[in-house]
Amino acid sequence: MIALALAQLHERRRSLLSWGLPIGAWSAFVVVIYPSVEDALDKAVASYPEALKEAFGISELSSVEQYLNAEMLSLIVPLAVGYLAARAVASGLSGAAESGRLDVLLSAPVSRRAVVAASFAAAAGELAAVLAVAVLLTMLGSAIAGSGLSFASALAGYASVWPLALLVAGLGVVVTGWSLRTAVVTGSVTGVLVAMYVIDLIGRLDPSLDWIRYASVFRYYGRAIEDGIDPVAFLGVTAVAVALGALGALLFERRDLAA
Amino acid sequence: MGGVAVIETEGLTKFYGAERGIEDVTVSVEAGEVFAFLGPNGAGKTTTIRTLLDLLHPSRGSARIFGLDSRRESVAIRRRLGNLPGDFGYGKHSSGREALALLARLRGVRDLGRAERLAERFRADLDRPLGQLSRGNRQKIGLILAMFHEPELLILDEPTSGLDPLMQEEFLALVREERERGCAVFLSSHELDEVERVCDRVGIIRGGRLIAVERVADLLAKTAERRRVEVEFAEPADLEAVRALPGVVSAEYARPTLEEVFLTYYRGEEPEARGEGEE
Repeated sequence: MIALALAQLHERRRSLLSWGLPIGAWSAFVVVIYPSVEDALDKAVASYPEALKEAFGISELSSVEQYLNAEMLSLIVPLAVGYLAARAVASGLSGAAESGRLDVLLSAPVSRRAVVAASFAAAAGELAAVLAVAVLLTMLGSAIAGSGLSFASALAGYASVWPLALLVAGLGVVVTGWSLRTAVVTGSVTGVLVAMYVIDLIGRLDPSLDWIRYASVFRYYGRAIEDGIDPVAFLGVTAVAVALGALGALLFERRDLAA
Repeated sequence: MGGVAVIETEGLTKFYGAERGIEDVTVSVEAGEVFAFLGPNGAGKTTTIRTLLDLLHPSRGSARIFGLDSRRESVAIRRRLGNLPGDFGYGKHSSGREALALLARLRGVRDLGRAERLAERFRADLDRPLGQLSRGNRQKIGLILAMFHEPELLILDEPTSGLDPLMQEEFLALVREERERGCAVFLSSHELDEVERVCDRVGIIRGGRLIAVERVADLLAKTAERRRVEVEFAEPADLEAVRALPGVVSAEYARPTLEEVFLTYYRGEEPEARGEGEE
């Protein structure tokens, strides 16, 4: 399984550049401009409607961590890295089926479960690597501009995206139990991710609908860059992601792999 | 043939919903035997192969390979076989060498000497990304991946697809060597000429049903009726003299096939002169 996972990571090594670099560069830009917009931000936030601030998790923007959270970590990074997770797992399974690679791998003495586990593990590694590149570039931006971003906070903020994205990967594995078309896997899982964000947003806007947020992974996402990682939420979401991956492996084992 | 059965299927059936893939396919292939599955596209050749490899689950019936159940013991079976999928692919960015390294690791093979020898024989470029290779050159990589570990059974789906006639010759020679080694070969094809030249037995499949399983020699003897004789003369022959022989009804000059003409240009030449073009 390790050999398979490493091979998939090698195959997808370009995502460090194509995903880690833009996410990191954008985050770095946000951090770089913070010192120059800092004073104007407080006035701007004060004029925002309360419901809007609540919906998007904006309390105040009096620190670079809060600004980075509002600009990047509340929406852009989780959706982008979530989409990458869907693509990564689809590449390892449905993409491999479409390219013929899966047939070649399954000519060797490896079980389908091992192939799924390797694909899931490779996706987890790829997501962690992309987030690590983003953290490093963000810290580089902070060092250049003297924004004063704490490394521990930045690390916590980006690390908290990992279980969310892993959950998306787990959902992707489940979908491959039904369809081995990459467009179907990526599209449906990304759709679920966006739907979960909307559900969380509605629940936050209307307190009487707060209960629906339990159906969304964003309910457990929080603001780790400001508050630190909630270990229960982190481990809980990771456990659900692994359980989804295991369910997907069972479904994948039972399905036909047509030519 | 009376040897050790490597593949044994019993009423193997696969339906895709209501659509029939194969039905009641019962066949056995022995060690050291080359068995061809013949049929047009859509007849059920690939479905049979994918069911044997546990990529498709049978609707009913069973298959045993090396005496092991093809479903429950698929991993143990695949340890001992080599497979070339139909329309071989692996991914555009990987090279043949990368694919080989991964498969060698999965199979626990450390010595890649045979792979290198096969690559030399097929004039295969192991270092170029597969996305940059022509179909024929990709097929060569697929054949190397199927054979590099000296399997006991080779399952090859349309193995000569995309290969030029010279590489087809090389492949047929290799199949004969594999048979000598005791390897069983199960291949699907609609290239009747190559089947006739290398296979011991054929199974003819039509509409998902196996309609005949015969030794190649028996099959040809049944239909030939021994009334036509092909004779080659050292010099241009006098047809009238041949026609005048007792019992001869007709005699005609036989035009060589284009493949025969083509091969005369390369006979005795070094293979370097005949590389395939890249895409």
